[in-house]
Amino acid sequence: MKYFTKVGETEREFVFARHGNRIDATSDGRSFAIDLASVGDGTFSILVDGRCYDCVIDRQEGRSIVLVKGERIVVDVEDERERAAHAVASAKGGGKQILEAAMPGVVVDLRVAVGDVVEEGQVLVILEAMKMQNPLAAEGPGVVSKVLCQKGQAVAGGSVLVEIDPPESESPEVGAAQ
Amino acid sequence: MTDRNEPPFKRVLIANRGEIALRVMRTAREMGIETVAVYSDADRSALHVRRADRAVHIGGSAPSESYLRADKILEACKQSGADCVHPGYGFLSENAGFSEACAAAGITFLGPSAEAIRLMGDKVAARRVAAEADVPLVPGLKDDVKDDAVLLQKAEEIGYPVMLKAAAGGGGKGIRIVHEPKNLLQAAELARNEARSSFGDDRVYLEKFVTKPRHVEVQIVADQHGKVTAFGERECSVQRRHQKLVEESPCVAVTPDLRARMEDAACRLARAVNYVGAGTVEFLYSEGEFYFLEMNTRLQVEHPITEERFGVDLVREMFRVAAGHPVCDAPEPRGHSIEVRINAEDPDTYFPSLGTIRRMNSPGGPGVRMDSCLFRGMEVTPYYDSMLAKLVVHADDRSTAIQRMIRALQEMRVVGVATSIPVALRTLHSELFRSGDYDTSILEKIDRSPPGELVDVAMLAAALGKYLRTEEVDASSGAAGAGQGANVSMWKLVDRVERLGRRIL
Repeated sequence: MKYFTKVGETEREFVFARHGNRIDATSDGRSFAIDLASVGDGTFSILVDGRCYDCVIDRQEGRSIVLVKGERIVVDVEDERERAAHAVASAKGGGKQILEAAMPGVVVDLRVAVGDVVEEGQVLVILEAMKMQNPLAAEGPGVVSKVLCQKGQAVAGGSVLVEIDPPESESPEVGAAQ
Repeated sequence: MTDRNEPPFKRVLIANRGEIALRVMRTAREMGIETVAVYSDADRSALHVRRADRAVHIGGSAPSESYLRADKILEACKQSGADCVHPGYGFLSENAGFSEACAAAGITFLGPSAEAIRLMGDKVAARRVAAEADVPLVPGLKDDVKDDAVLLQKAEEIGYPVMLKAAAGGGGKGIRIVHEPKNLLQAAELARNEARSSFGDDRVYLEKFVTKPRHVEVQIVADQHGKVTAFGERECSVQRRHQKLVEESPCVAVTPDLRARMEDAACRLARAVNYVGAGTVEFLYSEGEFYFLEMNTRLQVEHPITEERFGVDLVREMFRVAAGHPVCDAPEPRGHSIEVRINAEDPDTYFPSLGTIRRMNSPGGPGVRMDSCLFRGMEVTPYYDSMLAKLVVHADDRSTAIQRMIRALQEMRVVGVATSIPVALRTLHSELFRSGDYDTSILEKIDRSPPGELVDVAMLAAALGKYLRTEEVDASSGAAGAGQGANVSMWKLVDRVERLGRRIL
């Protein structure tokens, strides 16, 4: 089975084969001899063709976060089956923007309502967290379809604040939560 | 007073938390002064409580219910029999009312007088005092202007870009830079809102935004006899969102002549307000000139780089001058020192990262100092500052110090929250930082992507992890292959990975 990984715009696929204690990895036509030892607590000593890498592999929300030599690299990883399933799912909801609270905070200003036409970069919400005011802006043009927060409300990290439909969408959902 | 080894105080209460509380306790313990910690609900298990001699609970997790409550802290002083208070930085450290209340209660406040805090804490008043003491200033308005039309006209006179700063501000909060007139009024509103919610004071003032600015500050310690000692400068230009990330001493841009002038200016300002204790005078350096920014009337986060270069313990000096001893002379500085702040934050967005510290490794070896409040199992909560630790290195010269910091950061590991370590590594590897010719825009200019080799390794590791989790292990085919020991150990490994996998892999 193939394993697909992605970091930013870089993508690589891997195929593995086990030979006793050794794992052979193949990626883009190149092969590597892997020797892997778990040293506990999610830390692995990985020897790649004899080069040493001490890695922590931490899984969060379907992504792998790899710590190696002071770096912290977030890797999207899926196998062939998952990729096929995701391809079907993403064909459905395209173009929708979701504005999330990147961290827990308080909504100190809410500048849009359902039905508003917004432009790229337009500030929709100001979230105050750790005493900093962070303007949250639309990533692209569209029409506000849902507003899921109120001014003065404390919100958890990752909670959805505003949903925006693509501009060509004719009828924003009526009666969305206020 | 005569015996240098006699403890100047019996018992100190540290009105703070985190790494700075531990920092102060270390010196107090070395001096034979007993330590009293205070703690909020969220901090019962914090290291500063566990390392103290005594501890007093002072209230709820929000700072406004605990660490900012002067009344509760004074009550804790009485309850624990403390004869002095060290305020650390942040919280009540620059609160004139607290300094006064301590004095009224007969408890020594390890810092300057209420009057000095008031004068330097109000940026408008501080600029006036600095001007009187012949300390150079950036062109700007001396007072807050609330009239929109006047604000626009004054900004035009000063010349864009201009900067709006909270009069009561600090720590980079309430600062807005404006490049064009059309953005001025909205920025003023945002700055006022931030100032009001952070400091309870919405006054902002306007000044010229200096080009290619470097943030260079001078450390001073003043005693009760009018003597002020300057301990050289610190370069703090590596900032994100106006908050410092990497600091070094000395600053490569500062010549011996300029250093002497900056130190003299800092000492003049300290004398002008009858300063006592440790303080920092912050300057903006631009193209060979320097301008007064503000004076921080407290111990600064980045004080260790000064300590490492001068071989001086600034907290010890704070205790000594508060007890009436003369401040020491500045020893001859040696080598180069760098500090990196380890914050719990996303290295790309700089947003705070919350969670439980599941594992950590501290670096060691020659020339490495770690001031930290980290421990395995620690919760990083939204209540307090995101700084978890400070990594400090010292070496004979700048390039050795840079290499030493890189290797120490590579040894350091924090699992459970994201940290600022990758940004610090990018900075230290960058040509711009290495050349020394950088300013406060450095983090916007350097390449922030991790090295390609490590991205490849991370992808391989992530794929390998998934492979080990999902691949069906065919026992019979494994045994049919090489047989014996090799397969058994592979089985054990995979089994272990599977069990760990539920939580970690």
